[in-house]
Amino acid sequence: MDVRIKDGVTLDLLPTKQFKTIGIKVDFVTPLRATAITARALLAQVLETSTAAYPTQTALARQLSLMYGASFGITVLKVGTQHIVRLTCSVVDEQTLDAYQDAQPLFERGMALLRAVLFDPLLPHGSFDPTTFTQQRQNLLTAIKSLDDDKQYLANRRLQEILFAGQPTQAMSALGDITTLGELTAADILTTYHDMLAHDAVHVAVIGDVTLDRVTAALAQWPLAPRQVTDQDPYYRWTPQDQLQVGDDLAPVVQAKLNLAYQLPVYRNDADFMAAVVFNALFGGTPLSLLFTNVREKASLAYYASSNYSPFTGTMTVQTGIQAQNQARVQAIIQEQLAAVQAGNIDEQLLTEVQASLLNARLSALDSPQRLLNARLSAQLTHVTMSLDDWTHALQAVTVADVQRVAQRARLQATYCLHGGVDHAE
Amino acid sequence: MLNKQTYAQLGEAVYRTTLSNGLQVILVPKAGFHKTFAIMTTDYGSIDNVFVPRGQTAAVRFPDGIAHFLEHKLFEKKDHDAFDLFGQFGASSNAFTSFTQTSYLFATTNHLHENLDILLDFVQDPYFTSATVNKEKGIIGQEIQMYDDDPGWQSYFGMIGNLYPKEPLSIDIAGTVDSIDQITADDLYAAYRTFYHPSNMSLVLTGKLDPEQTLDWIETNQARKTFTPSAPIQRIASPATQPDQVIRQTTRHLSVTRPKVSLGIRGFDTVPTGRAALTYSVAVSLIFDLLFNDTSDNYLRLYDANVIDDSFGYDFQVQRGAHFGQLAGDTDQPELFVSEFQTILADVFTQLKAAEPQFDLVKREAIGRLIGAINSPEAIANQYSGPLFGGTMLFDELTVLEDLRFEDLLPVAHAFWDHSVQTVATILPEGLRND
Repeated sequence: MDVRIKDGVTLDLLPTKQFKTIGIKVDFVTPLRATAITARALLAQVLETSTAAYPTQTALARQLSLMYGASFGITVLKVGTQHIVRLTCSVVDEQTLDAYQDAQPLFERGMALLRAVLFDPLLPHGSFDPTTFTQQRQNLLTAIKSLDDDKQYLANRRLQEILFAGQPTQAMSALGDITTLGELTAADILTTYHDMLAHDAVHVAVIGDVTLDRVTAALAQWPLAPRQVTDQDPYYRWTPQDQLQVGDDLAPVVQAKLNLAYQLPVYRNDADFMAAVVFNALFGGTPLSLLFTNVREKASLAYYASSNYSPFTGTMTVQTGIQAQNQARVQAIIQEQLAAVQAGNIDEQLLTEVQASLLNARLSALDSPQRLLNARLSAQLTHVTMSLDDWTHALQAVTVADVQRVAQRARLQATYCLHGGVDHAE
Repeated sequence: MLNKQTYAQLGEAVYRTTLSNGLQVILVPKAGFHKTFAIMTTDYGSIDNVFVPRGQTAAVRFPDGIAHFLEHKLFEKKDHDAFDLFGQFGASSNAFTSFTQTSYLFATTNHLHENLDILLDFVQDPYFTSATVNKEKGIIGQEIQMYDDDPGWQSYFGMIGNLYPKEPLSIDIAGTVDSIDQITADDLYAAYRTFYHPSNMSLVLTGKLDPEQTLDWIETNQARKTFTPSAPIQRIASPATQPDQVIRQTTRHLSVTRPKVSLGIRGFDTVPTGRAALTYSVAVSLIFDLLFNDTSDNYLRLYDANVIDDSFGYDFQVQRGAHFGQLAGDTDQPELFVSEFQTILADVFTQLKAAEPQFDLVKREAIGRLIGAINSPEAIANQYSGPLFGGTMLFDELTVLEDLRFEDLLPVAHAFWDHSVQTVATILPEGLRND
C-alpha cells in the first residue's frame, strides 16, 4: 500500500509473511546537478560511518551486531534525471529467533538506528567531525579510483563519457568526480546534508511481517518536515549526434572490452515500453539472445556478449569481451543481428521464449525482498503502476511487428574499445 | 520414501531420500515462494585431475581445466542445446565448477516437471565430439582471459598458489589456454563415466514445490534409464606439500590503482569428518570474526591508521582435502598491512582471549546472517556440501552456532593455528617497486 505521510514524504508498505527478515529502504531524491553529485556521494559515505551515539564505525558495527547482524548501508544512484541517496536496513524478524529477550522488536530498533543516522549524526561543535570527514573523503577517492581496476566497469564508464560528452550529469558516475571531491570541505557537506533533509523528496518502503500502525508510529519519531516537491520528469531526453563517436584506449589488458551505445528513445511511460524490453531481451539481454547465440555460441568470439536497456535515459548498450584483432568481425555480427531485427526477421519461437523468460524473471523477483523494495522507487518516479496481470498481458501482447518497430528506432551513437594492442593477443 | 526433518522455530522442513541408483535427493519447500531452484551436483571439480578412469586399472593424468570444460560441453547435444530446452519454458539455467564440485542448475516459476526432466536428461546423457569440443576452446579461452584481467581473482589465486604449490588447487579452475587445447572428446567421456554416476551426485530442489510429487517425477525419470552398478572412485592425490614447502611471499605487478595484499593461512591439521566438520568450520569462522571483523578493536585501530579500509575482507573455507583462511584488502601501506596482521596472528590466543567480551555480539551477527540467507532458495541449495559436512543443511548450521560457547573456540583455535603456515601474495601497480 502506498501512503502519503506528509507533503513530499511517501511510504510504501509491502506486508508479507514470506520472509524471515524485515527490510527498510529510504530514498532521498533530487534532480541531478553536476555540482551536487559528488557532495551527496561523500555525504552518504560520512553518514554511513558513525552517529552521535555511535561515534566510531566500531561502535556502530557493534550496535548492528547486537541487533542480530542487522545490515545497514547507504548508497548513491542515478535514475534518469534524478540523483538518489538510498539508506537500507534489514533486520531479522525476531519470531524466528529462539531466545529473543530484548524489550523492543528489531524492526523498531532498525527504524531507530536509521533515525540516529539521519537526524543525529556525529556533529561535534555543529560541524562534521574533521577526522571522520578527512578519512572518508580519502576513502571515497581511493574507492572511485579503484573502480577502474575493473576493466569491464572502466570500459562502460568511458563509453558513457563519449556518449554524453558535454552533458556532465549523464557522463558522470553516481559517485561524482575526483577533482570536485578533493576540494570539498566539511562545511560543504553540512550544507548538502541540511539541503537533502529539508528539500529532497523522501520515499520510504518497508517489506515484511509488520503492520501499518507500527511503521507509521516508528516514522512519526523522525523529525521530517513537510516539503514542497515539484513533480519531476525522470526521463533524460537527448538529441542524437549525426556522427558516430568512436573511442579506444590502450591498457595492459589481456582481453579487449568492446562496448557500444545506441540511442533507443523509448521511455518507461511510452506505449512501446514493453516492446523495447522484449527487443532488448531478444537482441542481447538474455542468454537466449541473438548476441549470445551469434557472437558466443556460433562464432566462439566471446565469453560474454550482452545488451542493457535503460528506460530512463533512452539508451541501449552492448558489452563484449573479445580478442582485439576480432573487433571488426564482432562489430559486423552485432550490426547484422540488429539489421535482421529491424528488417523483421524475427523467429516467432524465439520471441515466445524471450517473453516466457521475462515473465519468469518478473515472477522470480517476487521472492526477493530487496528487488521488491527497489522496484518501489521506479513506481514513485514514473507514477506507472501495473498489476501483475496487466504486466503479463502487455508482455504477451508484444508482436514481431512491435519489436521490429522499436528496433528501427535504435541508432548507434558511440563505440569504445579498451584493449592491449592487436599484437598483444595470442 | 522421504525422510522429513523439521526445524520448528524456523518453520522449515527438509525432505530427503537416496534413490536405488544412489542419487541423493533433498527437497526444501518454501511456503509463499514463486520460484523453484534446482541444482544437480557431482563431487568432481578442478582438483580431481588424476584418477583411475572407470573400467580401467591405471591412473591417468588429465589436462587442467577438464572438469570445467566438461561442464560447458554437457549442455550441447547432437541436435540441440539443453540451454534452449530450458528456454522454451522461460526457465533460466546455468552451471559452475569449483575446486571439488560441478553443479548444473535451473530456476523456474512454472513447468517444474518439464524443466526437471530436462535437467536430469541433459546431465545424464553425454554427447561429445571433436568438432563440438574444439568449438568450445575459443569461448573458454575468452573466459580464462577475462579472469586474467581481474586483479581480485589474480590476488586470490596468487595466495592459493603459494599455499598449495604443485597441488591442483593452485591451478585456475578453468585451466589455461594451453591445457584446454589438449582436451579431447575421449577425455571428457572418461571423466564423465568416472564421476557422473548417480551415486556420486546429489539433486537439491528448494522453493515452490510439493515434496511427494517432486520425488515421484524424479523416480519416474530415473526408472526410464539404466545405470551400471556404482563403483568406488579412485582419485590420485598429488604428493602433499610439506609445511616448509609453502611459498612464504610473492609479489606481482599488474595494472591496478593501489597495492593489493592477500595473506593466506593454511591449516595442516586434520579436519574432523561428517557433522563435526561443520562445527569446526563454523568455529574457525567465528574466530576470524572475533579477531578481524568491524566490531573488533584491531579493525578500528588499523582503519584509523589507514592500513585497511572498506575494501578489507576475510574468509575461511573448508574444501575436500584443503582448508585455509584469507585476509585481503587494498592498501597504500602493503608492508605495514602484512606486519600488523602477522603480529596479531603471532599472538592469536591472547588476542582471542581479549576479544571474549565481543563473543555474544559476533555470534548474534552470524545467526542473523544465516537467517537472512534462509530467505533465498539459492543460498539454501548452494550451501549443501554433501559428504564434506555430513549432509548437513543451512538450518543445521544455525543449531551449531546457537550451541557454540566461547570455551569451545580455544581447542579449535589450537587445532588450526598450531599447525598452520602463512603466506603473503602482494600485487603492486605497474611501475611501483616494493621497497
